[in-house]
Amino acid sequence: MRRFLCWGLWCALTAAWPWTASAQERTTVGGYGELHYTDSTGTKTPPVVNLARFVVYLAHTFNERLTFRSELEVEDAKVEGAKPGGEVSLEQAFLDYRLADWLTLRTGLVLAPIGIINETHEPPTFNGVDRPAFDHDVIPTTWREIGIGAVGTVPGGGGLAYRVYLLNGLRADGFSGDEGIREGRQEGQLASLANPSFTGRLEWARPGWKIGGSFWYGGSANADSVLGTGSFAAPIALVSADLRYEVGGASFRGVVANISVKDAGAIDARYSTAVGSRIAGGYVEGAYDLLRLVAPGSSQKLNAFARHERYDTQASVPAGVTRDRSLARRLTTLGLTYKPTWNTAFKGDYEIVRNAAGVGEREVLSLGIGFQF
Amino acid sequence: MVILLPFVLLAVQNPAPPPAKLSASIARVFGPGTRVDTLRVDTSAVLRVSRADSLLGFAQVGNVLGKDQPITFLVAIDPADRLKDVDILVYREPYGGEVAYEPWRRQFRGKTTGDSLRVGREIRGISGATISVHAVTLGVRRLLADLTAWHQRGAIR
Repeated sequence: MRRFLCWGLWCALTAAWPWTASAQERTTVGGYGELHYTDSTGTKTPPVVNLARFVVYLAHTFNERLTFRSELEVEDAKVEGAKPGGEVSLEQAFLDYRLADWLTLRTGLVLAPIGIINETHEPPTFNGVDRPAFDHDVIPTTWREIGIGAVGTVPGGGGLAYRVYLLNGLRADGFSGDEGIREGRQEGQLASLANPSFTGRLEWARPGWKIGGSFWYGGSANADSVLGTGSFAAPIALVSADLRYEVGGASFRGVVANISVKDAGAIDARYSTAVGSRIAGGYVEGAYDLLRLVAPGSSQKLNAFARHERYDTQASVPAGVTRDRSLARRLTTLGLTYKPTWNTAFKGDYEIVRNAAGVGEREVLSLGIGFQF
Repeated sequence: MVILLPFVLLAVQNPAPPPAKLSASIARVFGPGTRVDTLRVDTSAVLRVSRADSLLGFAQVGNVLGKDQPITFLVAIDPADRLKDVDILVYREPYGGEVAYEPWRRQFRGKTTGDSLRVGREIRGISGATISVHAVTLGVRRLLADLTAWHQRGAIR
């Protein structure tokens, strides 16, 4: 208790430095969005155009230390009862209390700091019309939950930054064979706090480089008496590593992740989910800015890129579950991204979708625009 | 040349850095034991840094807008109008703090107004810090141009 008081006193004192008095309250608006055209091979798949995402970023600065930030998203242009598609949701909504470069306290609906796309998902930041499929089926992007945590740079750490959170956990009743833990997310909606979970990330940056490692650990039983009522019953353990590197006109990125669903057998028996006991995979991507060759003085970009994804949401299955080999997926995407400015993108790509069972394979042609501001 | 986001320069407010941070920054860039005089040019304040009777250079504090917070930075030049160093005095954004890392700031050293400072070319970016990288680079280019012009026409000496 006394330590708590000292902490509070220290916060109050540091917040009262005279130089903070100059800060004014203000509200900032931003946003991002993306429009897709997709044409998939196969029967009954006419071309589709879709306003996939429209997101309003709204932030308010209360003073030098305290800021609220949020993203409100509309998916598929509208939401109408009984019609497929469409979602209105908060992607983020949190308060930051900045104490120092090495410590900002954060509470609210936050993004799990895992992989590349979950935290940095503005369309001009990635190649390809749609996000990598890996960032849908393995890392369940956009993964956000409610909790508290701390972020900052490691003092004297030579380019190290960290984020750690304690968040509400996943729910095993939403797991599935083809999308793994994805529908086990609670996304801030009347979320069960039966299984508080830890997640965090450490990343290292240099000009042109960013290397990160992330984890998630927490239960998923949601106090179900069959799976266990402990805080860490039916635990999910995720580890992931990612790399981004840019040199000259070339850029590379890659992500790998491994998710262990320890009690997959019990979960499958209880909820008939067919979730794998291990979900694993990753992708690598290389790109080159072709404008370097024809217009070296230009600040615009024309990235030609190739990406290869390999993942299996049933990399291992518990006894009693038949492994579905069509879930061992391989996707190769070739395409172009034209960026007249760093925050706008015109995209086109061709995606070859394959799996180990050879069923439901297809090719998809996509065009899209993306922006952020 | 680059018409990138003039709005990042809309410094909606100009928070001053804490004095201790500013003097620590001056000491880091110019070494200890310097004398710092504040010169007024138009509406701007320029710091003149000297030791004994020799001029070491000039420095100016600026603000650019990141995603939603001002980034307070310092640009220092030497008497030959070469960029001596860039320092980030206060960074307030949740993502993008990598612009404060020395290996990124180091890229600006020795540059003059004759060099074009473009992100992705002369100045390598950092993934996940795109907005801050563009904002600070644009801000540095502007302060370097101001300091050089004022020095060359004798408004500061």
